[in-house]
Amino acid sequence: MTAVPENIGESRLFPVTSRLEKLPWWALAIVLAAVLIVLSIFTSAIYQDAFNFIKEGIVTTIRVTVIAYGLSLIGGLILGLGRVSKNVIFYNLATLYVEVMRGIPMLVIILYGAFVIVPLSLDLINGLGNWFVRITFLAGVGQALQNINIQQVDMSARATAGLALGYAAFEAEVFRAGIQSIEKGQMEAARSLGMSYFQAMRYVILPQALRRVLPPLGNDLIAMLKDSSLISVLAVRDITQLGKLYRARSFRSFEAYNTMAFLYLSMTLSLSMLVKYIERKMSRER
Amino acid sequence: MKVLRIVSFLIVLSFIVAACAPAATPTPAETAASGSAMPDLGGQEIIVAVENAYPPFNFIDSTTNKGNGWDYDAFTEICKLINCVPVFTEAAWDGIFEATAAGQYDVVADGVTITDERKQTVAFSDPYMQINQIILVRSDETRFSDSASLAADTSLLVSTQLGTTNENIANELVGESRVKAFDTFDAVVLALLSKDADAVIIDEQAAQGFMATNPGKLKILPEKLTSEELGFVFPQGSDLIAPVNAAIAEMKANGTMDSLYQKWWVDYQPAQ
Repeated sequence: MTAVPENIGESRLFPVTSRLEKLPWWALAIVLAAVLIVLSIFTSAIYQDAFNFIKEGIVTTIRVTVIAYGLSLIGGLILGLGRVSKNVIFYNLATLYVEVMRGIPMLVIILYGAFVIVPLSLDLINGLGNWFVRITFLAGVGQALQNINIQQVDMSARATAGLALGYAAFEAEVFRAGIQSIEKGQMEAARSLGMSYFQAMRYVILPQALRRVLPPLGNDLIAMLKDSSLISVLAVRDITQLGKLYRARSFRSFEAYNTMAFLYLSMTLSLSMLVKYIERKMSRER
Repeated sequence: MKVLRIVSFLIVLSFIVAACAPAATPTPAETAASGSAMPDLGGQEIIVAVENAYPPFNFIDSTTNKGNGWDYDAFTEICKLINCVPVFTEAAWDGIFEATAAGQYDVVADGVTITDERKQTVAFSDPYMQINQIILVRSDETRFSDSASLAADTSLLVSTQLGTTNENIANELVGESRVKAFDTFDAVVLALLSKDADAVIIDEQAAQGFMATNPGKLKILPEKLTSEELGFVFPQGSDLIAPVNAAIAEMKANGTMDSLYQKWWVDYQPAQ
């Protein structure tokens, strides 16, 4: 009984079927959903109301994400260099930071930063001020430090700092992986040509490493855009917070959540297309 | 030499910073508030924290897209009496007491119940409103009619806002395992409407606000659970407590409190 399946190789005989199979149906589904939501924003008064209310948060979301991402890149690069450093102190400090921050959930970092670190450090700054005013030539600094008030540190800045500090640890590991992916021989060659360690890093290793880590960095930008919704716990008016406020006043949770999801998805999908484009371009160049 | 240059730069910088530090400029008092001797804060700005998610105490108005509600009106009235300028700031309920104790806000106006536990972290004004905690249910609820029958049926779940006195009552009534606590009250009521919970423990005033925004979907059980007093929240030792108390007393005496109650709990219909 060796029944040969009749449809073997059928897809090859009918190229039309195979082309249909290869179509990105998932993307089509997303586009369809997007068209539906855009259509309802234009036609339904309720969706229009929700969208008009929530759209004010787009700028905040983007601003917080971009600033926090920029800061986390700078911090991550320094920490990443620390992770590959042979200096015992630098290496251990960087590793301590990375291990601690990677082990704490983003939401906890944001809450902890806003309600523990900031008040404590302001106490410290004011205390330093009290101490400085007694030293004649530092009296001016002391006075200024004493006058710093917790109300001047707004929640949006705390939220941004929290995101940046948390993500710096992830970027550090990305940079470390990138640097270590460059063959050891290159560093040795650069050093034997008379370059210092930092010259070799700056002119030989980092330019190559940066190109290799661009895709993971792009993915982290997308992840951060999504995590930026956590700042709504500090009542920063991003998309999520405005969605919450809209729900609170209108009880239209369905429309509010749909609009929020649509806004986030349209941003993350366009970013991920950008990342894919960069990836493709780089693989062609290599 | 380099070190010397840095130090001298720092010193110069410190003088500049000190010179730029805002000097306390007294604003002239413009209006004598009322006939009786009200305290005068001289136009001082007061940072008032509101949640904007607790109608009709505070919420975002659908026509103006700005904050509105009892708290806004009440604090504007208070400031008229004692000559101050309210600066309303949106704050999340989570951490609002810690932030106030740390001096982030001058006062919290969010329908806060006065409790001894909270008094350990923050200070309260005199009570400005008496409220009852009640049980809010879906309008078609027939399985229970009071707190005893709610507590007796172990399949029933109770929902309420995290960190509120409502949560304490709910925990006492049915035990923590049957209480679902959410971050904001709108999520709490949403859980009730979507049948994730069977009852909500909530302040009577807020319940009426939610009933107004959901006509025909909710009802209040006749039993009153506890009677509690609401107050404004200050950092401990705040200079504002005495003036605000004086203003509250004046507003109770001259009928402002009653007309605000009428405005937000009787006449107010949220725009749909």
